[in-house]
Amino acid sequence: MERMIVFCMLLFCSSAVLTASPYDTVKYKQILKTIEHLNSTVKDKGAELVHTPENPVDGCRSMAVACFQKGVLKLQPENSQVNSTFTRTVKILRKFTFREPGKQCESSCESYEKKTPREFLKSFAKLMKEFAKCTQINLLEEPVEIVVVQMKCD
Amino acid sequence: VECVFFNEEYMTCMWGNTEVLTVNYSLYYWYENRSPMVECKHYLQDQGINVGCHFSKNESIQFQPFRVLLNASLDDGTLEFPSKRLELQDLVKPEAPVNLTIRNMSNNQLQLTWASPYPKAKCLEHSVKYKSNKDTDWTELPVHGNVFSLPSVDYEKYYTFYVRSKINKFCGSTLLWSEWSVPMVWGSNSTENGTVEEQLHWFWIHTVVIPIASSLILLVFVVLLVRMERVWVILMPRIPNPSKNFDELFITHNGNFQEWAGVPKDVMESFKPNYSENICYVSELPPKDSNEPLWESSNHSPPAMPGPPPAAPSEQYNPYKNSY
Repeated sequence: MERMIVFCMLLFCSSAVLTASPYDTVKYKQILKTIEHLNSTVKDKGAELVHTPENPVDGCRSMAVACFQKGVLKLQPENSQVNSTFTRTVKILRKFTFREPGKQCESSCESYEKKTPREFLKSFAKLMKEFAKCTQINLLEEPVEIVVVQMKCD
Repeated sequence: VECVFFNEEYMTCMWGNTEVLTVNYSLYYWYENRSPMVECKHYLQDQGINVGCHFSKNESIQFQPFRVLLNASLDDGTLEFPSKRLELQDLVKPEAPVNLTIRNMSNNQLQLTWASPYPKAKCLEHSVKYKSNKDTDWTELPVHGNVFSLPSVDYEKYYTFYVRSKINKFCGSTLLWSEWSVPMVWGSNSTENGTVEEQLHWFWIHTVVIPIASSLILLVFVVLLVRMERVWVILMPRIPNPSKNFDELFITHNGNFQEWAGVPKDVMESFKPNYSENICYVSELPPKDSNEPLWESSNHSPPAMPGPPPAAPSEQYNPYKNSY
């Protein structure tokens, strides 16, 4: 009897995992589109200002990504209708990490200026475009961990 | 000041010269929080006046806010134009695609491929415009990737293709398309001329020969019909008109059907009554004896009564006759 219960639970959990996975696979291209989508549904007027990393220097880009992913949680949707898609898109943006091995960053998230949600998202998009353009990343792949030794955009 | 980053190899910022007088322009630039303000090292000139600045590859850094400041020194002072804040990744104008090649695929399909001098292919989106010699307008279609397929081609047409590129939205936000590539043609010139001659030929047939031939045939047909009444009667039979038959009835005999039909006079007379009937008035009298039956008036004799012998009926009749 106990074995049956355990087996059923395992089956249920695995099916739950399987159904959850389609949302998890997100290509890099889609991340950029997601940010644009958020831009149109985020509450901007009267919303809380967020620390926005601007033009992070070499070595501080990974920290900037982490700051963006942290700041995204502070964003609010414009109205309650877009709430569910908003939550899902925010989750997508927190799924990947960026690493610059061998480099240290002096600044912290709080050292950056606070800006409106739209400007925050604009800077986030700009950073993602920089990764898309200046690294070896494949836009059609799901980014889990982006490891960059050198940003080649010059 | 308008700046364009050509194929990420060099950049030019142009301001032009709107003043008639001799003006001395000078441009200063810097990257915010990165580099100090420096003057342009390579000016572009037009008739001895600075109208633009050329930046080499090392002087152009993307994803860093770029500031420019233009100074115009006139005789009576210096004019400062407000500084502009630019992002170079949004000013990239790639070079036009090269090496256009066309391949004939199965099912009348054409495949157009090209290469781009711009190094990062994943950052490009392309646009193909084409037209056949029979079309009036160009058809422009967006393409992702370096391949464009035209699903069905007419082998008798002559096609021209152009391709251009732009940085896509995953690497920047720009409206700057590259120049159109050199044209690529398909379909041969000679078939074009042949088609024109053929077209003229067909034109003559359609507008001259066919109308004349058909009118001649029509003429012959009409003549035949007029001359051969047998054919005419078959094609155009006389529709009988019965009204003439009834002229006699309505006009001559004045609607008298019997007269017109020829019914003999005796038959007509026989329908007219030749006798007269007098009206016989009848009334009911109350009976004198209650036993005596009453009879209806008629010309017939009353029914024979049983009992008295036939020798004496005349006596019996009389009282009845009298009473009546």
